[in-house]
Amino acid sequence: MNWVVNKLRGISLKQRIFLVMLFVTLIASFIFVYQNHAFYDQPIVEVVEVTSEDREEVEDTNQNQDVVYTQHLVSELKNGEQKGELVYFTNDYSESSAHHPQLRVGQDVFITVDSRDSDGNLTGSIIEVKRDHILLIVTWVFIFVLLLVGRRQGFYAIIGLVVNALLISYALDVYIHTSDISLLLIMSITVILMTVLSLLFVSGFTEKTYAAIVATLLGTFGLLFITIFALWLTNEQGIRYEEMAFLTRPPEAVFMAGVLVGALGAVMDVGVTIASSLFGLYEKNHQISVKDLKASGYEIGKDIMGTMTNILFFAYVSGTIPSLILYFKNAATLEYTLSMNLSLELTRALAGGIGIVLTIPIGIYTTIFFINRKRSNI
Amino acid sequence: MNALVLLSIILFALMAVIGGKKGVRSFVALFINFVVLLTTVLVMTDPSADPIILTLIACTIISCINLFYINDVNKKTKTAFVSTMLTTLLLLLFIYIVTERSLIQGFGEEEVEGLTIFSFYIGIDFVKVAASVVIMSTIGAVTDEAISISSPMYEIHRHHPTISKKDLFLAGMSIGKDLLGTSANTLFFAFFGGYIALLVRFKDMNYSLGEIINAKVFSAEIITILCGGIGVALIIPITAAITSYVLVRSE
Repeated sequence: MNWVVNKLRGISLKQRIFLVMLFVTLIASFIFVYQNHAFYDQPIVEVVEVTSEDREEVEDTNQNQDVVYTQHLVSELKNGEQKGELVYFTNDYSESSAHHPQLRVGQDVFITVDSRDSDGNLTGSIIEVKRDHILLIVTWVFIFVLLLVGRRQGFYAIIGLVVNALLISYALDVYIHTSDISLLLIMSITVILMTVLSLLFVSGFTEKTYAAIVATLLGTFGLLFITIFALWLTNEQGIRYEEMAFLTRPPEAVFMAGVLVGALGAVMDVGVTIASSLFGLYEKNHQISVKDLKASGYEIGKDIMGTMTNILFFAYVSGTIPSLILYFKNAATLEYTLSMNLSLELTRALAGGIGIVLTIPIGIYTTIFFINRKRSNI
Repeated sequence: MNALVLLSIILFALMAVIGGKKGVRSFVALFINFVVLLTTVLVMTDPSADPIILTLIACTIISCINLFYINDVNKKTKTAFVSTMLTTLLLLLFIYIVTERSLIQGFGEEEVEGLTIFSFYIGIDFVKVAASVVIMSTIGAVTDEAISISSPMYEIHRHHPTISKKDLFLAGMSIGKDLLGTSANTLFFAFFGGYIALLVRFKDMNYSLGEIINAKVFSAEIITILCGGIGVALIIPITAAITSYVLVRSE
């Protein structure tokens, strides 16, 4: 207890206000998310009883064994005019729960309310599980871990995430509502905006920031150009857009926009790392030669290129694990499975890798240009 | 020629020209990582294999490749390795609980539409597979950050051998904090890039905000992003603590 009191004494008034506000938001958001049923138009029920569960062992055509359960559930409506009434519905799930999950008492579920059965009971069918409260919990854990570990930098990382997510979402709105502007053009403008904002936010109006911005943008558009050129040269052979078949829009454009945005973070990271380390060397020794700067730049570049390309690779490819398993278990061949599931992800990872490596020399020459400009100004 | 092959050749050429020997090694590591991932998935199709344990084994091999093969086996990479494994374990525990509560495992309605010819009764525990996906998505970022913190801490200790454990820990924390923003950004943008198609679909189909938030695919992606952020933050104090402990104790 004393430790907590001492800790609290050590922080400034500003931080105390921030903590109190954070705490109030936390409480308010939890109250809201557990009481927000009235804000949804769709009927929501809470499962109050699992009356029975039928169990059936199944084997599909590929000799995969699984157990399918049918749950008979009683639930209570949480919103709408019939609030408080009981609804009866069933839920099918399998042991592997690859599609529908098992429902437990207390779970909130979105349903459609159908007619009354012969006993006069309301019946319904399940649409989706209510997940907003779990998202909220994870969001708060995320906020607290980032603030505790990173303090100010953690706070900036959260703000950056929110601002960039909103910018991308807004850009997509513009694209969808104005059918005549190309998505790639809209995303390019968004990318420029996000780069300038993120980097200015991190290190302010300095020569170092300008160098990082120029390097990032050259690197990003360089990789876009190389990727488009490579796809054009090979006639997009081996690229399967089927996994984006659910889109009502040309998948090529949407995919290219994803390539551009996906690599941006990594390219920015490389641009900032090169610019700040070279400027750091210059600050320590104003007489440092261009040759030494170049050599140090390449040394740093070599150190980061391997791990950076790995970050992108795992972030993209891991998401396909569930569908890879599904394909394999349905006796699809290795070649078919890989080309259907991985062609787009691998293209993204390779394009991002090209961007990362490309940004190393671009970053070195851009930073040296800005350092020389600063030198001649003195 | 296949587009993927051409892109691979371009990447290899760039890495070799700009990175020299280390660049070639980085490309080979990328390829080995792909093989490890694919092997893990193939083993996972055996219903008697536990996806969580497989993920832990895969993460061990992957961090060995990223740390010991691209770099060298030394004190810096060893402490980075221990920190990575510890963070992965912690994160895995958290993600497993979250997956179980949020029921994000398996395929969403949007994905099932395109997969109707497939049987979904395949006897693999998809709760565990979902947890595995989140861990594997962030393993690259976590190992990167571990080595980026332990390596300069090692340099600090070399230049100031009398530094106390606490001061070294604080130095590590301050290095980590500076990295946090850019590492988180790298991961966030990579995920955004992958999710654009889905966002376009949600907006095209006029999903309401409530429908989007509760949709399985969307929740799963938000949880992946947030857990990635938690992972790159959590690795900072863990690496700083382990590295300062190892370096100062061995005096």
